[in-house]
Amino acid sequence: MHRRSLLWHIFLPFLAVVVLSLVLITGFTSRSLRDFFYDQTGADLTDRALLLNSEIEPMLVQAEYATIQDIVRAKGQASSTRITVILPSGQVIGDSAHDPATMDNHAGRPEITAALTGVHGQAVRYSATLGHQRMYVALPLEQDGRIIGVVRTSHSLASIDSTLDRVQQRIALGGLLLAVFAALISFILARRISVPLRAMKISAERFAEGHLSTRLTMTADSEEIGALAEALNAMAQQLEDRIRTIENQRNEQDAVLSSMVESVLAVNRDEIIIGVNQASCDLLGIEADTAKGKTFQEVVRNPELIALAKAALNSEVPVEDEIVMRRGGERHLQVHATGLQDREGQRLGALLVLNDMTRMRRLENLRRDFVANVSHELRTPITSIKGFVETLQNTPPDEPEAVERFLGIINRQADRLQAIINDLLALSRLEQEESQERLGKEPTRVIDVIMDAVNLCTARDNTGAPEVQITCPGDLHVPANHALLEQAVTNLIDNAMKYSEADSVIQVVVDEQDDQVLIKVVDEGSGIGVEHLPRVFERFYRVDKARSRKLGGTGLGLAIVKHIAQAHGGEVGVTSSLGKGSTFTIALPANDVIDRGK
Amino acid sequence: MQPHLGQAFRHLKKSLFTLSAAVEDNLHVALQALESGDPRLIDQVRTRDLEIDLMEVDFEEECLKILALHQPVAIDLRFVISVLKINNDLERIGDLAVNIAESTPDLMGKRFVDTASRLPKMAEKAQAMLRKSLDSVVNMDAELAREVLAADDSVDDDYHAMVNDIRTLLRQDGSGVDELLSIMVVSKHIERIADLATNIAEDTIYLVAGDIVRHGRHHVTDEN
Repeated sequence: MHRRSLLWHIFLPFLAVVVLSLVLITGFTSRSLRDFFYDQTGADLTDRALLLNSEIEPMLVQAEYATIQDIVRAKGQASSTRITVILPSGQVIGDSAHDPATMDNHAGRPEITAALTGVHGQAVRYSATLGHQRMYVALPLEQDGRIIGVVRTSHSLASIDSTLDRVQQRIALGGLLLAVFAALISFILARRISVPLRAMKISAERFAEGHLSTRLTMTADSEEIGALAEALNAMAQQLEDRIRTIENQRNEQDAVLSSMVESVLAVNRDEIIIGVNQASCDLLGIEADTAKGKTFQEVVRNPELIALAKAALNSEVPVEDEIVMRRGGERHLQVHATGLQDREGQRLGALLVLNDMTRMRRLENLRRDFVANVSHELRTPITSIKGFVETLQNTPPDEPEAVERFLGIINRQADRLQAIINDLLALSRLEQEESQERLGKEPTRVIDVIMDAVNLCTARDNTGAPEVQITCPGDLHVPANHALLEQAVTNLIDNAMKYSEADSVIQVVVDEQDDQVLIKVVDEGSGIGVEHLPRVFERFYRVDKARSRKLGGTGLGLAIVKHIAQAHGGEVGVTSSLGKGSTFTIALPANDVIDRGK
Repeated sequence: MQPHLGQAFRHLKKSLFTLSAAVEDNLHVALQALESGDPRLIDQVRTRDLEIDLMEVDFEEECLKILALHQPVAIDLRFVISVLKINNDLERIGDLAVNIAESTPDLMGKRFVDTASRLPKMAEKAQAMLRKSLDSVVNMDAELAREVLAADDSVDDDYHAMVNDIRTLLRQDGSGVDELLSIMVVSKHIERIADLATNIAEDTIYLVAGDIVRHGRHHVTDEN
């Protein structure tokens, strides 16, 4: 749609009015003037004709045509009027300009025709001979009620016409000037309106672009335009307020969503992601900006989540399930998915809330394992005790030595029970500290720990104990819990002693390597088969069950060592050859590690 | 005409991502079963694979329907062809996952733990390759796809080393043949999975760049 400038809308009508008025006035005035002049001329000619009448009439009667001609000629020249005398037959008998004998019959001329009927005849004609308009007035000459002739006077209208033309030209020129003047005025008027309007247009455009804080100044002096400017300003203010409110609400909402621990995902009906919070991004390894607008399947590569989202989109009730997420480490997630509805109840999409249950599951598993282990391991000595007690009760042996032996067995089993319970409790405490990362560490001199451990072991086992050799830098320190580290080393040395011959050597070698402190216990004992090596650190795992029980083991020693090492942020390892011996290594971080990289 | 085609393509992409996620997941479970020997996991792999097979049939039908109804050209045609081939490769990977899971009981003899313990590492490489190749499809990233092609050599080397070691062990002591053969078969399955992941990567390169890079060729088509 082509819209024309305001200027044209004002100027053209203005111009049209001016021109129209001019034309009308000119036309009217011209017509009036002309009529007036013609009337005047007609009256004048009539008077001149009348003047002649009295003179010519008697001559007509006498038929003194030559005299008439002379008079006509003389009078015509004197008054600059063309005079013609015509007989009722139409014959011209006197003319002031031409020889009457050469002139043709004038009966047909309209003014003559009219005069011949007895009325005053008048006509205006263009004369070809003379080249201009002339007016003819014809008066009948009567004698006794009978028309005896016609006197016709005529005058050129040329001067009148040219005068009138000149007047019209002057008016036209004046009109042109007026039109220019009108253009100027309309231009000014138009600008008066359009300039403030244009300013308002620019302001409105700026509002549309979002710069709502600028305001229009009232430069217009017309009430309507001023009112419009005020209205625009008010609108801008309102918009600004509304937008600010909306932004605040959105910021609050974003803050809530992004600080939530639970992962939130929202999809629309076409399974396109419309919203994710920070927790989801961390969980799924995605970015919020790139995820929005992509399909759920593309971003979440977990078949169960995809199925849940689909189910929630189509279900009337919320859908819940527990799934395992395998990408980036195994995680157990509880998913709660609901359909999203708008106010009219139309399905908009679905919302998924994911709760990370991994830690809880892990703790549950630990607890379950613990209970299972406890029941199993405790049952064995208790069964044994009960068996012997029942035997003593029901069929007491005859010899007192037998009774002694039985009681001894019962006592040992009770000791074993106690040892197992102590070890289990220590282990569970370690695991708790490990998971809560609450281990009291301080710089500990390694040689002290080793000496304490060796002393404890050699004190326990005096008979046929293998020799223990220590190789350890005197000033090496490591961040550790002294008591726990001592217990770990004790367990290792204890094991070494149990499974070595009396004349072999046990070495304890401490080393620093690659940011780690390595404590190695090397024995020359029976060694461990390669198929058992991955499992020796498991709880209650025994390579040779009979031998272990005989030697008084609880089956938990190495598990305790492993957990102590892990609680320090370190690890354990073992190498062994059957028949040659084993080396157990505890590796601890030489410096305090803040992030254990769990 | 175009809006329907666009919607059909969107749906096809969704199906592809669902399918690939299911295959990736099932492979992961199969490898877990390999390490733990848990029979429940083996059953889970088998059951899931039945669902995957059905998904794959549906997917192929979806592709054929698009070809028949819309007769796509240029990049659209390339896309449909590529995902059809990827679908095939995914189906084979799914079957191989089941094979691996089902071989697990034979590996529980635990005599050749050293040799058997190399399987999970090999499998992790193959799994990583599969994940990267599927990422390259999702993101239409030819660079990522080429990385997958480069990673295949490592798995091939592992496989050949495994075969040699098993040959040596068999020559030393023929009694372990049952377990050793199972180990070799599983390693072959893993090597196959790596190859199929490479196929998927090649299909992606074709899709994105119009290059057909199979069999060592780098033939540039002038479509872009």
